[in-house]
Amino acid sequence: MRFDKLTETFSRRVARGTSRRSLLALLGAGMTGAAAFPVLPVARAASSEGGHGAHPGGPARPAMASGLEQDPGDQASCDYWRYCAIDGFLCSCCGGSVNTCPPGTEMSPITWIGTCTNPADGRAYVISYNDCCGTSSCGQCLCNRNEGDRPQVRPQSNNDYNWCLGSQSSVYNCSVAAVIGVALEKTK
Amino acid sequence: MRSFALAAGLSLSVLALSIGGSGTAIAAPAFPTPLPEETLPSVAKLPAQWPASWVLIHDFRFMSIVDGRIAVVDTADPVRPLKGLVRAAQFANMLVSPDRGEIYTAETFYTRLSRGERTDAITIWDMATLEPKGEIVLPGGKRQQSVTYPHLFQFTNGGKWALIANFTPAQSVTVVDLAARKILNEIDLPGCAQIYPTGERGFTSLCADGSAFSVTLDDKGAAASSKTVLKVQDIDRQPLFGTPAIVGKTAWFVSFYGMIQGFDLSGAVIRPLPGSFSVGSAEGGQPEWRPGGWEVIHADAAGRLYVLMSPYGKEGSHKDGGTEVWVVDPVKKARVQRIALKGQSVAIAVTREEQPHLVAARADGVVDVYDAGTGAFVRTLGANVGANPIMITVPR
Repeated sequence: MRFDKLTETFSRRVARGTSRRSLLALLGAGMTGAAAFPVLPVARAASSEGGHGAHPGGPARPAMASGLEQDPGDQASCDYWRYCAIDGFLCSCCGGSVNTCPPGTEMSPITWIGTCTNPADGRAYVISYNDCCGTSSCGQCLCNRNEGDRPQVRPQSNNDYNWCLGSQSSVYNCSVAAVIGVALEKTK
Repeated sequence: MRSFALAAGLSLSVLALSIGGSGTAIAAPAFPTPLPEETLPSVAKLPAQWPASWVLIHDFRFMSIVDGRIAVVDTADPVRPLKGLVRAAQFANMLVSPDRGEIYTAETFYTRLSRGERTDAITIWDMATLEPKGEIVLPGGKRQQSVTYPHLFQFTNGGKWALIANFTPAQSVTVVDLAARKILNEIDLPGCAQIYPTGERGFTSLCADGSAFSVTLDDKGAAASSKTVLKVQDIDRQPLFGTPAIVGKTAWFVSFYGMIQGFDLSGAVIRPLPGSFSVGSAEGGQPEWRPGGWEVIHADAAGRLYVLMSPYGKEGSHKDGGTEVWVVDPVKKARVQRIALKGQSVAIAVTREEQPHLVAARADGVVDVYDAGTGAFVRTLGANVGANPIMITVPR
């Protein structure tokens, strides 16, 4: 699914503002700041030529379904609903999964938290974009979306920082997109 | 070691003789004299003073960030554009000082490549040999790791010192004496990022609330004074790309939406120049023309500004690269030229040659060269200098 800017901005604000999640929000905005991984604007630019605005994920590959009707979509695709604010290589393509780091890596304790709406149940979920660290760049399923990205003066909304912080190694491998809660009390 | 090499060499010649047996028969007539023997070992050197057509291009190496590098590139040589490489590991930053003939890389290493003990260090490289000639270890394992932003590592104090950004995510700046090869001090920042050298000995950082924070340093590298200047940018409505064009002591920033704002960095405290202005507009936007790319603004020796522009400007497009360069005269506050590029480019720079050239690094790795005065395409260097050319530095 595609996220428009308004929705994403609104959702992020909700993630920070909702009382249930205020601690997480504080951690997300204050202690760490933003997004999973860096860059890849160049790589993205390369792969998006001719398809401006698309979210290409690299070479064609078979879809990865969760198998759950309530969690629809291709977890190897940048358009999967949980990836609305992700930036990096998708761990689903790297030996891990949508919520698990590949073997041999360490999950960064400092994360960027976004909020994405699940198209199946209409709920807005708080998503933790932990980086997996300690193994060199995965190189598979690049996914970079810059909607809402702002300059580095606002770390909490800049995805050019390497967020392998607080882990034993700052070498970046890939990023997960784990559900850690529901952002809104009621369904939309 | 030597005897082993000799032995290997001998066995190679024996091998060559044995398989060359039939070859000798067809040799003679056309080429009565064999090729001369070549002297080994042989390692190239660069001129101590690089020609003005040479630039440094940061190859970020997304697919192996621990192995980033800086390419020394002759933009006038399409046959051998790559003159050599300098290591730039793990989200490195780089500085160059032609006066001292030195390149400086700020990097991070682990004792077992991706694991082990962390060492952050500045390495000093000789511009003529590209060999390391010294290093300064940075304390604390907190060097900021980001996609290449040149303003995380800057000179001050006439180039004798360097300033380097830290991010843990607490933000600070380490002051380094390059000449004496030692760490001087560390300055904590109140929620501010990037380093813009200000005055003779000091810097300014931009802060999350839209203010700027200027610091002067004493002769020990400690903060002598600091001052906050409020509202130098409106991050919500007109966010500025972090990397400006520098003309003398003036920094020209461009916003995501194409507004140019100048700052005077000559004094102890940053001073916004009155009168921001637009790079202009044009037909054909889908939906509109905006700056886009990684290094989106650069200046020539005359102070004209070159801005990388994309017709696909919209929220989130600001790193996607551009297909034109718009040349702006900051005195007239007017666009004076549009240069169409050969491909979607992510970084631009203008050389300081007598006939300056616009160098554009493309998303596909190709580097193209244009006449900066006329905008005419001059030559391509192909995708022959690096995998992910993301930042072009013109030594000066």
